[in-house]
Amino acid sequence: MNLTPAPVATMASHLNPVHIDAGNRTLAEMQDLASSLTFASLLTDDGFEIVHLNGTHADGGRFASMSSSVQALSDAVAHELKIGTNEYVIIASELGHVIQLRVQGHPIVLAALFDTHETLGKGLSIARIAARRMAELIA
Amino acid sequence: MSEHVVLFAGPMGSGKTTAIRSLSEIDVVSTEATNTDRETADKETTTVALDYGEITIDDVTKVRLYGVPGQKRFDFMWSILAGRARGLLLLINNDAPDSVALLLEYLNNFRDLHSRGAVVIGVTKSDVSDAPSVADYSAALTAASPDQLIPVFTVDPRNAEEMRTLLLTLVASVEMRELLAPAPAPISEKI
Repeated sequence: MNLTPAPVATMASHLNPVHIDAGNRTLAEMQDLASSLTFASLLTDDGFEIVHLNGTHADGGRFASMSSSVQALSDAVAHELKIGTNEYVIIASELGHVIQLRVQGHPIVLAALFDTHETLGKGLSIARIAARRMAELIA
Repeated sequence: MSEHVVLFAGPMGSGKTTAIRSLSEIDVVSTEATNTDRETADKETTTVALDYGEITIDDVTKVRLYGVPGQKRFDFMWSILAGRARGLLLLINNDAPDSVALLLEYLNNFRDLHSRGAVVIGVTKSDVSDAPSVADYSAALTAASPDQLIPVFTVDPRNAEEMRTLLLTLVASVEMRELLAPAPAPISEKI
């Protein structure tokens, strides 16, 4: 099992105007920190896109579904190997890297695609800042 | 020891995860997330990547049990996992709207697996809704695939014995199909 303890929500995040507004602000601020951010999405744990940035680069709905699966599989691996909680996922490829992590305390995942002009370390740092910012905005 | 890979598919809420948990001899690997789509299925969590379990039957055959998410938006997982499987256990919840059409739709989504492997249908939640009947499903399947006999059972995914009956039927069908498959051509004929 790999469920993040979630607060009781009255409305799903992808339908919640407060979460959508907070998501848009978070991703816009993220873009200000990294021009190499090619695509970013905030999604529910079960794969519904809340918001995305730079949508011309990817099919947001499909990206959200795949990110949800990848997150869950990574959590399952960490659980199976008994190595603690999965903190983040990195997919490093020739032309870019995907970094994704949870928004603490909420069933929400941040997934971001950076081009290779960004180092993995800086990309991860920016993604962590953005996830914290989202958590603050919807607290 | 021989091995089979079997896929559990069907709509969200049809009982795939429960069925694998009923059957598996190992701790099931699950990828569940909080379900935000309570209109489609009123349950706390939903599978977003896969379920995985294992069972040994007749002491010499291991069956690897893979469950896929029910929602169409996860259909990339369907393709990934269907490629490894030789058998499809398709669960359909009888309380779903237009469940006969839904069954045919899911079967069509897995037509490649259907064409090269074996399929068994399990109708769940027939205690919640007593119609359509097994005969209704069978008639629709015969109309859709007149040259193939697809077994249909009612089943409670929580009941290990009932699930085992479905699984054994499926494994027998897979093995029969493999036996009847034409033998590969000798190397000399390929040159």
